[in-house]
Amino acid sequence: MSRYGFAIDKKLCIGCHTCAVACKGENGLPNNVWWNRTLTNGGDEMDTPAGEYPNTTISYVPVACQHCENPACVKVCPVGATYKDEGTGAVRQDYDKCIGCRMCMAACPYTGVRSFNWEEPAYYYDVTLGDPDVPKHQKHTVEKCTMCWHRIARGEQPACIGVCPVRARFWGDLDDPDSEVSQLIRERSCEQLLPEEGTKPSVYYLV
Amino acid sequence: MTENVSAASAVKAPAAKFGGGKLTVAIAVCAVLVAAGVALWMAQLAGGMVQTGMRNLDSWGLYITCFMFFVGLSAGGLIISSVPKAFGLPGFGGISKVAVMTSIACTVAAIGFVVVDLGQPLRLWELFAYSNLGSPLMWDILVLGTYLILSCVYLWAQLRAERGVMSHVALRVISVVALVVAVLVHSVTAWIFGLQQGREMWHTALLGPWFVSSALVCGTALVLVACVALRRAGYLGFARENEVKLAKLLGAFVCVDLYFFGCDLLTEAFPQGSGMEVVQMLVSGQLAPFFWVEVVGCAVCAAICFAPKLRTTPLLVVASLLAIVGIFCKRVQLLVGGFQVANIDMAGVVTPMTVTNWEAGLAGAYEGMVYWPQPIEFGVALGVVALAALIFLLGLKFLPLKPVESEK
Repeated sequence: MSRYGFAIDKKLCIGCHTCAVACKGENGLPNNVWWNRTLTNGGDEMDTPAGEYPNTTISYVPVACQHCENPACVKVCPVGATYKDEGTGAVRQDYDKCIGCRMCMAACPYTGVRSFNWEEPAYYYDVTLGDPDVPKHQKHTVEKCTMCWHRIARGEQPACIGVCPVRARFWGDLDDPDSEVSQLIRERSCEQLLPEEGTKPSVYYLV
Repeated sequence: MTENVSAASAVKAPAAKFGGGKLTVAIAVCAVLVAAGVALWMAQLAGGMVQTGMRNLDSWGLYITCFMFFVGLSAGGLIISSVPKAFGLPGFGGISKVAVMTSIACTVAAIGFVVVDLGQPLRLWELFAYSNLGSPLMWDILVLGTYLILSCVYLWAQLRAERGVMSHVALRVISVVALVVAVLVHSVTAWIFGLQQGREMWHTALLGPWFVSSALVCGTALVLVACVALRRAGYLGFARENEVKLAKLLGAFVCVDLYFFGCDLLTEAFPQGSGMEVVQMLVSGQLAPFFWVEVVGCAVCAAICFAPKLRTTPLLVVASLLAIVGIFCKRVQLLVGGFQVANIDMAGVVTPMTVTNWEAGLAGAYEGMVYWPQPIEFGVALGVVALAALIFLLGLKFLPLKPVESEK
């Protein structure tokens, strides 16, 4: 039994969106769908700072499903299409079961990490991108980050980890005190998104 | 049908044979609207829900608003009909059966609105095969189904009791059960929203009782309007004293509802923390038009109901309509308000699927109302409302809903 989670170094993140693009490619995401987004903590627009020059601040927060220990979405799904995998701690979504009621989207406090396929999934390329083990995207169902379920099942890391050019992303077993993520969380000061919601997210931001 | 007619005439009630041509035309119009609604719903499923105004950050819209609204509307009828019977009080005259008929029609509409909102309606059977009994949505489906069946049973029991083939004790027992389920159905609908910690505006323990009070307001108002209309059409005798009784009840319910609203606003605003955002959005922000229509409409309604001089039939109809519109506005505030306050409002990639007004960027999308329905949603919604009207009118035409002499 493991409980996998992420540690993301906000001090290193340069907001290059490589992790977001890697996620999109790996999972063959349809047009206009992003499971992983690099948000700008600054002005109203992406890549703009808050404040007046020279007193400006900017930082980046990559946000995807937080794979909560106490997920709000799992509780409310009427058919159990979204569920927590006990062996890995990943919050999963069964496209074949989803009835498209979007109760999970209303329940999740993390704005925008879940996305609904409002139309038949369409792609910019004629060829299918993405790993062949990724389940087919379905119209009118909810989807989100799977923690690259197909990759961790093969013993690999999620696709967003290795591509990070500044090595700001880490992934591993939070229950194993010797894992890299556990050590980072222990030794660095870190924060979680919306801890007041009580969802106990498995994504830690090193600050 | 002929069985009902003959049975009803046996107890010397001038049942059936009502309305004639005009009623038939109304039924036909409703049927056409229902057919148009079904066609639009098929178009929505075939072309994708991208045709609606809903998007990832405002993932529910007009359909769920109407769902809340119709669950509420369905209350009044059943409660007004069952409370006097359950407690052995003098009722409101012979309106009991018509009142339950409004409940049945509105419950069907409420269920219809959930179905048209689903992305995969063909997978509805999974609700019963893979039920997650921990989900408030699952509770609601179970309770709403029970409520519909119970309303039908209750109507049937009243007809049987009139014919003298059912004991009044049995009818009273059914009344009590119906009353309990009616209160439950509103609480459970509230919990779909109120148990979600992630939405500032929804997450309050008051939501359950508040849904019950709102349901009583618009349900009573609907029964009042329906009875006045049916009296005018010569369908039933609706005594003036009963009209006044209902009006006073409506006034009281409106006051309770406004009181709850006041309590909620104060609790949100007082700490001057994140709840302040919700209060500002309602009082002076994006949802202000809906807020003020509700507050002023309900206040005017209460004034009309309580001031003996104002309590004339035409003004009471106005008051009832104001109450119904007011409660609808409340549903809009609640639904849109839940999405209007984003927990994470940092700028990022925005696509046509992110939010309704995506072209303006995230900040722009939240400047006005974050959601506004598209024409197809109005069309489908009209179809579902027409279905409720169709059921009600069919009931008037074919069921012996007229009061029998003994009840007057």
